[in-house]
Formats: sequence, C-alpha cells, structure tokens
Amino acid sequence: MKTNIPYSTPEGYFESLQNRLSEIPARRTRFNFTPYLALAASFVMALLVGNYILMKTAGNQSASDEEIVEYLIESGTTLAQLEDAVYDL
Amino acid sequence: MQEQEIFFNDLVRQYSEPLYWHVRGIVGSHDDTDDLLQDIFIKVWKAIPGFRGDSDPFTWLWRIATNEALSFLRKAKVRAALSFTSIDKEAERISDPTPFFDGDKAMRALRKAIASLPDKQRLVFTMRYYEELPYEQIAAITGTSEGALKASYHIAYEKIKVFLTNTD
Repeated sequence: MKTNIPYSTPEGYFESLQNRLSEIPARRTRFNFTPYLALAASFVMALLVGNYILMKTAGNQSASDEEIVEYLIESGTTLAQLEDAVYDL
Repeated sequence: MQEQEIFFNDLVRQYSEPLYWHVRGIVGSHDDTDDLLQDIFIKVWKAIPGFRGDSDPFTWLWRIATNEALSFLRKAKVRAALSFTSIDKEAERISDPTPFFDGDKAMRALRKAIASLPDKQRLVFTMRYYEELPYEQIAAITGTSEGALKASYHIAYEKIKVFLTNTD
C-alpha cells in the first residue's frame, strides 16, 4: 500500500478499532434466541405490524415525508431512478 | 462457535487496518468509515459459516466491504437528493473530512480530485493506485472485467490530472 494516502486517523485509532470489532462475536451471541423463542417473537411481531397497518389504513393516513424518504433509500432506489421519475403535481 | 470466533478475530487482526483504508478511500469521511467497518464486520461474522475455505479471504472481505461502501454512498446520494442538499455538498463532505485530513495543500487538492470522480471510478482508482492491487484481484472483488477496469483507471487518472492542473 502506498504511504502517501491523503487521510489520517486519530492517535491509537486502530488499537481501539480492533478491540471494538473483537466484541462483535460476544454481542451477536448474547442476542441469539432459541428457535422457539424466535418463532414466538416473529408471530407477535407479525400481529403487531398487521395491527399497526390496519390502524394506519383505517384512518386513511398517508405516510410521512420521513417514512417515504426512508422507504426510497432502503428499497435500493438510485439517484438515476429519482431523476427519471415523473411526478404528478 | 469457538472456531468461528478464532477465525473472526484473526480476520480483525490481519485485515481491519487495510480494510479501513480501502473503505476510507471510497467514502472519504473517517466517521463514516468507522461506522461502516462495524457494519462490515458484523456482516463478516454472520457470513463466516458459509465461507468456503478454498476461496481467498482477502477477496471475500474486500467484496463485502466494497458492496457496503457503495451501498452507503448510494443511500447518501438519494438522501441528499430528497432533502434538496446539493450533491456538491456531499462531494465536499467526502473530500474534506475534518479534522482527520492531511492539511497539506497538495494532499487536499488530491483528495478533492478523487472525490470528484464517480463512485466506481473512485473505487477502481483507490484499489489500483493506493492499495496497489493487481487488476486480476480487483476484477475478482468487483465482478468487472480487467479490460473495463483498466479503461476506468485510465479515465480516472486523466480526470485527476486535469482537475489538479485546473486547481493550480
């Protein structure tokens, strides 16, 4: 790797980075539910999400601007697609 | 599980620093790079059970990291467009990630030049020029042909030269 990279890092950064990254297995393991608990949790989540959607649609509420923005970002929308989109005014 | 953890820690020890520079070359900002590395290594941890030992860990890691970094940039651009932030402001953020930048004027100009490149050209330039990876390896990481990579690098190099000449 070249040495004339035009960036720098805080002092001691890479030591602390390795320490933080090394904690990932413990964090991921700690939150590992058993298959039965995971199934029960999925069922409860499905009920809650379904109930939320029903309440939202029953009230004819539309998504907020923030919700639309987050949806577009997370759905993989590209900048080119946004620019090509035709909006009904 | 213990074997997975040993392998993961070996990857962290061996690759966390070079991977940092790889991601930093793509996204520019130290803080964004730091956040991304957490996400990348979480993905790596989850992907280890499916990792075939016969493939090269370097290429495997770099592929995960590159996809995450490019995805981050795409989301940032869409978010900027939707909040009517100028794309130039995004380029500014990529090129001048205070306070962790080299204050040398020439380095700042070079950073701005690199930030002005399209994302994939910046990626190829970073991997070839700074990381000194062979085209064969870049092709394996990006899934792009060597010919296309060479063309992309040449164009990026010429653009940077023009940018720096105009900045002087």
